[in-house]
Amino acid sequence: MIEIQNVTRTYQRGSAEVRALRGLSCRIPPAAFAFIVGPSGSGKSTLLYLLGALDQPTSGEIIVDGRALSQFTRAQRDAYRRDDIGFVFQNFNLLANLNAVENVLVPYLPLGTTRQKRAAAELLLQRVGLGARLDHRPNQLSGGEQQRVAVARALLKQPKLVLADEPTGELDSDSGAEVYRYLRELQAEHRSTVVIVTHDRSHIGPDDFVLTVRDGKLVES
Amino acid sequence: MLAFALKNLFSRPVRSLLALSGLTVAIAGMVGLFSVARGIESTVTQTFNKIPGLLVMQPGAPIPLFSRIPTAWGQELAAIPGVHAVTTEVWVRAHLINGKPTISPPRFLFGMDPEQAGNLEHSVYRDSLESGRFLNSSDRHSNHAVISRAIADEFHKNVGDTLQVDSHLLEIVGIYNAHSLLLDVAIVFDIDQVRQMSRIGPDTASCFYVELDNPSDQERMVETIKDHFRGRELPPWQPTAMLALDSSTGTLNNPVETFIKQIGSLLSGKSQSDDSPQRYTRQRTPTGTPSPDTKPDTNTPPGTNTATAATATSDDSAPQVDQPEVAGSDRQATTEPAATSPELPIEVRTASDWADQFKRFSADLELFLTIMTSIGVVISVLGIVNTMLMSVTERFIEFGILKANGWSNLHVLLLIGYESALLGVSGGVLGSTLGWWATLLINARWPDRIHLYASPGLLLFALLFSTLLGVIGGLYPAWWAARMLPMEAIRRG
Repeated sequence: MIEIQNVTRTYQRGSAEVRALRGLSCRIPPAAFAFIVGPSGSGKSTLLYLLGALDQPTSGEIIVDGRALSQFTRAQRDAYRRDDIGFVFQNFNLLANLNAVENVLVPYLPLGTTRQKRAAAELLLQRVGLGARLDHRPNQLSGGEQQRVAVARALLKQPKLVLADEPTGELDSDSGAEVYRYLRELQAEHRSTVVIVTHDRSHIGPDDFVLTVRDGKLVES
Repeated sequence: MLAFALKNLFSRPVRSLLALSGLTVAIAGMVGLFSVARGIESTVTQTFNKIPGLLVMQPGAPIPLFSRIPTAWGQELAAIPGVHAVTTEVWVRAHLINGKPTISPPRFLFGMDPEQAGNLEHSVYRDSLESGRFLNSSDRHSNHAVISRAIADEFHKNVGDTLQVDSHLLEIVGIYNAHSLLLDVAIVFDIDQVRQMSRIGPDTASCFYVELDNPSDQERMVETIKDHFRGRELPPWQPTAMLALDSSTGTLNNPVETFIKQIGSLLSGKSQSDDSPQRYTRQRTPTGTPSPDTKPDTNTPPGTNTATAATATSDDSAPQVDQPEVAGSDRQATTEPAATSPELPIEVRTASDWADQFKRFSADLELFLTIMTSIGVVISVLGIVNTMLMSVTERFIEFGILKANGWSNLHVLLLIGYESALLGVSGGVLGSTLGWWATLLINARWPDRIHLYASPGLLLFALLFSTLLGVIGGLYPAWWAARMLPMEAIRRG
């Protein structure tokens, strides 16, 4: 369960103060396939990054599985991101120097990658249709393939929460559909909560949880 | 993570290569520069290990070339109990060999009495004979000479050939090879011939080599010899050692100072000898007696004086010869402080004294080299900082992604630290190797002019130092990258 309690986020852009979130509150049920939708600049991505502890709210509280993120120490935040969160970014954000398997293993590089972890990464890549592209670097993969690697990276650790920021924004419709298919398959398998920020409502299913945000406030859920 | 760091470096090959080149050149330069001091130390140690006896010479004279003492004192030395043999030596500089000026490396005429030398158990030149024969009593008053392999090679000579030194023709009867830059500079022949060539009277010698009955009894014998001559005075006119004295302090010149003075003299169009009267005036007390400061500093590095020797001898040998009749009032006055030394008219040096003095010189040199190297080091550190900062700036998104995937600040710091340390290690390996090769190449190219020695310790130090530089160079960029919030990093990217 994710509880968002009256969260605000304000930041400076030059001399201007930008109020990205203005007292937003909501709950996302566990193992939900959730979408955050809304126009550009409405605060969708900001909310997503706050959920992933990549950013901190100016006020308010976010509680994930009963733990208040604001109470985390730096080490706990690192561990939360490493163990509990899987990120998928719009522009894939793979590391150019690493091949597909190594990119999937990125969260474990500092602590050392075991043979089991590597095998799991390879299996996951095979699941997303990249079994023949394990050693390929990002520049040798198509956009859709890169995003599938990103999905595999996000899901390798079987996180409690998968956060995706416009995951199909850079893909054609077929590739986008494929990415959603894998996300849904793996979510169903791992029982993770998936939160996706998107403009594109075409991938929203009847059972999905939808939050509509506008001007930093929740309009509908 | 190390493999990841390595991949990151390879992914930006040009920039990594440039940073590496800067560091490599700095480290190679450091190895090269310090190998000069190490080379001197090594040469000195090797050389003086070959000379077990004592050298008795004029106080303050940096090397025998500048020393003049009465020949008669040799007999007194020989009569001291514990002395096994004494040889009288005359050293002068050869100005022209086969018409070619001998500026660098210098060449010296070493005049010795072959009969006296026959009494020595160990004679460094005789023991280093490579071909032909050494001088014996039949060579007395002859023009027979023994030259070093270096000189023979330089002038393409062999045993049986002749060699023209200044205006004299010498017949080569032997070639020695002492494998020392300090020793392989001498042309050895009869002492009277050298005296005649350099207009040194029979009453004057440069120094005496004293071989002891018991070589391990050096310290006691040094004191015995000193006691024997204590209270005696050198005859007037011992000018050449004074040329090596500093104008203001009476101490021997620092090589750098000497060099700068030479340049100054050249620029102002004044020769060094122009300064002599002034120099003399400063050395005297108002009462006209020698100031205590004018006592030659025997602890001053001999290498200093070699530099001075080059100047002194290059302007001519006049101050070294017995020519009281040409000595003007200035010159005569210049000689007084040394000639009236109330304590000791001689200095007795052991091999370890020489070695100590050379080591002091190499310590000065090392300081100079450290300063020079520091400049290169600062530049290379700035190069690494610049490289890593550019690398960090370009990789904001990457750090954001890594942090989004659970990398801690420490992990990011380590990654950048590894990258810069890898640059440091690589620079150290390449720089040390390059520096080492350079020393081998230089030694092979100019075997009789310079001896560089890059010791294993120096190479290891260079490697560790370079690694340290790499780590230090990467610290600030790493800290900068690590403290960024993931969102900030992604947004900046």
